[in-house]
Amino acid sequence: MSTELFFVQLINGVQYGLLLFLIASGLSLVFGVMGILNLAHGSMYMVGAYLVWYFVGVTGSFAVSAMISAVIALGLGILIERLLIQRLYNRNHLDQVLLTIGMIFVFNALQSIIWGNDPYGVAVPQALSGSVPFTDNSSYPVYRIFAALICVTIAAALYFVVNKTRLGMLIRAGQSNREMVEALGVNIKTLYTIVFAIGVMLAAISGIIAAPMSSIVPGMGESVLITCFVVVVIGGMGSIKGAFVGALLVGIVSTFATVLMPTMSNMVIYILMILVLLVKPQGLFAK
Amino acid sequence: MSRIKMLASAVLATTLTAGVSASALAAAGDTIKVGLMLPFSGIYAQLGEAGRDGLKLALKEQASQLHGSKVEYIELDTEANPARAPELASAMLHKHKADFVIGPVHSGVAMGMSKILRGKDTIMIIPNAGSADATGPLCSPNVFRTSFSSWQPSYPMGKVALEKGYKKVYAISWNYGMGRESLDAFEESFTAGGGEIVEKVLLPFPSTNFQSHISNIAAKKPDAVFTFFAGGGAIEFVKDYDAMGLRGKIPLLGSGFLTEGTLLAQGEAAEGVVTGLHYAEQLDIPKNWEFREAFNTEYGHYPDIYAVQGYDAGQAIASAVNELKGDVSNKAAIISAMEKLTIDSPRGKFTFSKAHNPIQNIYLREVKDGVNVVQGIAAEALEDHARGCKL
Amino acid sequence: MIFDKRTERIVLAIFFLVALCIPLFLEENSFFVGKVTTILILIVFVMSLDFLVGRVGLVTLGHALFYGLGGYLFAILAPEYEAVNFWMYAMYIMGICALIALVVGAVVLRTSGIYFIMITLAISQMAYYFFFDSLEFGGGDGLFIFMKPETSIFGLSFLDLDNPTHFYYLALLAVLITLMVIKIILRSRFGRIVEASRLNPERTEALGYNIFAFRLISYVIGSMLAAYAGLLFALQYGYVNPQFMTWEMSGTALVMSILGGMGTIYGAILGVITYEGLEYLFEHFTEEWLLFMGGAIILMVLMLRKGLAGYLEKLLEKKP
Repeated sequence: MSTELFFVQLINGVQYGLLLFLIASGLSLVFGVMGILNLAHGSMYMVGAYLVWYFVGVTGSFAVSAMISAVIALGLGILIERLLIQRLYNRNHLDQVLLTIGMIFVFNALQSIIWGNDPYGVAVPQALSGSVPFTDNSSYPVYRIFAALICVTIAAALYFVVNKTRLGMLIRAGQSNREMVEALGVNIKTLYTIVFAIGVMLAAISGIIAAPMSSIVPGMGESVLITCFVVVVIGGMGSIKGAFVGALLVGIVSTFATVLMPTMSNMVIYILMILVLLVKPQGLFAK
Repeated sequence: MSRIKMLASAVLATTLTAGVSASALAAAGDTIKVGLMLPFSGIYAQLGEAGRDGLKLALKEQASQLHGSKVEYIELDTEANPARAPELASAMLHKHKADFVIGPVHSGVAMGMSKILRGKDTIMIIPNAGSADATGPLCSPNVFRTSFSSWQPSYPMGKVALEKGYKKVYAISWNYGMGRESLDAFEESFTAGGGEIVEKVLLPFPSTNFQSHISNIAAKKPDAVFTFFAGGGAIEFVKDYDAMGLRGKIPLLGSGFLTEGTLLAQGEAAEGVVTGLHYAEQLDIPKNWEFREAFNTEYGHYPDIYAVQGYDAGQAIASAVNELKGDVSNKAAIISAMEKLTIDSPRGKFTFSKAHNPIQNIYLREVKDGVNVVQGIAAEALEDHARGCKL
Repeated sequence: MIFDKRTERIVLAIFFLVALCIPLFLEENSFFVGKVTTILILIVFVMSLDFLVGRVGLVTLGHALFYGLGGYLFAILAPEYEAVNFWMYAMYIMGICALIALVVGAVVLRTSGIYFIMITLAISQMAYYFFFDSLEFGGGDGLFIFMKPETSIFGLSFLDLDNPTHFYYLALLAVLITLMVIKIILRSRFGRIVEASRLNPERTEALGYNIFAFRLISYVIGSMLAAYAGLLFALQYGYVNPQFMTWEMSGTALVMSILGGMGTIYGAILGVITYEGLEYLFEHFTEEWLLFMGGAIILMVLMLRKGLAGYLEKLLEKKP
């Protein structure tokens, strides 16, 4: 592999990793603060992608559609938390698993009913549709650079919120000691609703961002779900920093694996995860 | 009181339904039972729905050929899950006593179905699954296919590549039956004419992590790229290929599924892509135009290859039933009738080979202005070798 | 008594009574007999999972690995056109799976909680990819088993596995034996220590027990039972496919187990029958069966705190 190709693949890997982080961050946040394992997280990614496709068809503008879709996702997150998730706080983890699996079925069925089963695509928005000449033969799409920048921005924003704001302080407190936070008079119910809704919105935003770079098909939620879990487990459940490092690691390793040993590449992230867990059974940055 | 009663009635209802449907045999006589084992949910749902719509249109149009017999449809969702295939096939055969079983889309499901149905008292018609085995080592008198064998669309593309002057081709696809068989078919004819496959990449199915491979292709600088992808993967590959600036610089060739049912989503990225398939929506034969309008009138959108294949399965049934004047009880007679048929398909007329696979033309298509334009016939009346079939 | 809950005795009595009679009254309907056979096989699989998850406390999303291996090992090891002895092969296959479980368990049991779930999922997915990618083992299309094995013991053969009714009773026998084996283990000293390690691992260790060893042995036992179920599943229709060992398969079994009532063991019967029954019902009446299925699952989780078994127990157990 030439040095030039190496750098190209490295950039591919980082960009893929950043998108993975965006998807995984919501999952890690929700689990870390609320202890909820949301298996329907992938479905939220799917909902974001389908929503933006639908609204682009209606409004013609990607930016407007993205914002509408993000807001709808936020509302959806609040609705789900209030109606369903709230009832499971005192139940064991497995009941949450079961509930969220039921939600996956429901969302997949709704997708089929509302939007149909044909494969869809979203065109890259005009303003971002150019390419930057890269090597003598190829060019790098501006949109992918944009997507990577958005992921970094959101990562920075999350870091800021979690570490420098009052909400973030409550989140961190809720992560370490739920009862104490309640005893201090904080309305933990509202906190949980906010956190869950943010988690859902993050998943939907990643679906929105990914839409022009991928195809919008039934089952797209399940295909990211497992990779998402691998990232979060490698990084350490509940740690945003861990999700970031884990995502970059998975992104870069799987990108190189897919070119160096294509047929084995699907196993590589599992092997990576097993190796990490053998050395650090709770992930890299476990709390 | 009410809760126990609710529970009890739920249990009773479930048992009764199972028992009742189990023991009630459908009225025999003038009903032709057509079972559909297709995916109606999940990633292949679109293909299943298209096949079903095509089939029903054919049987509706040609109802007169059924000599007064009515058609009863039994639809079972396979979810493209091979684990359920034998059980569902068994339901079709033993419970519903279907005269014809149409399915599946997915090759793994085809294997499971074939295990149960081959050699039994029903006619299995495959409206999509292209696995070589189904009309190869696992061929059987009562199994027909109205779609294609994986080898057919890709084999002629080797010669096409040579004719266009490409000497070094990069081949890429998914590592599963259809992907491997497509690349092998291309390689067979391409290398026979002196071409060289500079690299053959098989990605895990159904990974769509193409970005790194396209970077690789750019670095390798082949004369052309040959690929098989379908559905979502086809959309992503073609879009990524274009976004990386390779469209126009390195010609993209493929098995026709690359641009089938995906052109709207691919948009401008698909312009100039050259593929081979046993159908093209713009195929200029009267039957095709008739069919397209009829399909659009019935369903509100235009058909693709998956609908054509389902339609032809329906035509095969109607014609065979017509031969036998509406009596479907003698399956051996149906088989003989079907073997002799010439199907007047929107893809052009075709007959069945000894292994019951279509002998059909493969058309060369190029995407121009968002449509597959037919550039010619890449191979005429191409018959699959059916290696391993003892028919 | 080995079945100390009234609800358990009632459910098991009704179940075995009905199950014994089904083939006698519905023999001509071979599809229905076959469908119930599959349900029986699933019950064995889910019981073995319930043992691991509900009693030993090992939540695994990779249990289908052994389920799939049970079938694959037969398809690979048995000669294509010769009828081998079922019991011998069952023992070989369970033995091989026990060894594999020993090795896998030694690795995965070093983690716990969500990490254990993920690592077991990863291992079964890797096995899935291995079989999917392999040309020698059939790849994504799977393998056929052409000859069913014969079932003679010391020259005496009672069951012809090609006969759906005989196969049905073999599956029913498997349910009975699995139930008894698990119950006996749970009643034994071994079983009580294993449960203690689930309820309070630190205390149990402090008492001097090597809970790693206890868990490992339980994992091996659970895997062997799953392998036997998988063997029956493969033999029923003579077909194996890598899909049998995916996390989705493990996940479905877990759903059935939770629905039935985690940890009750007999709950597996309720869970499998309800899940399969609902799926059958919804599939035949509407195209949007997935919606109703998901809705039913959500409703049941919200309303039934301890699964169906828990609900029945609330109704039927004598209040103190």
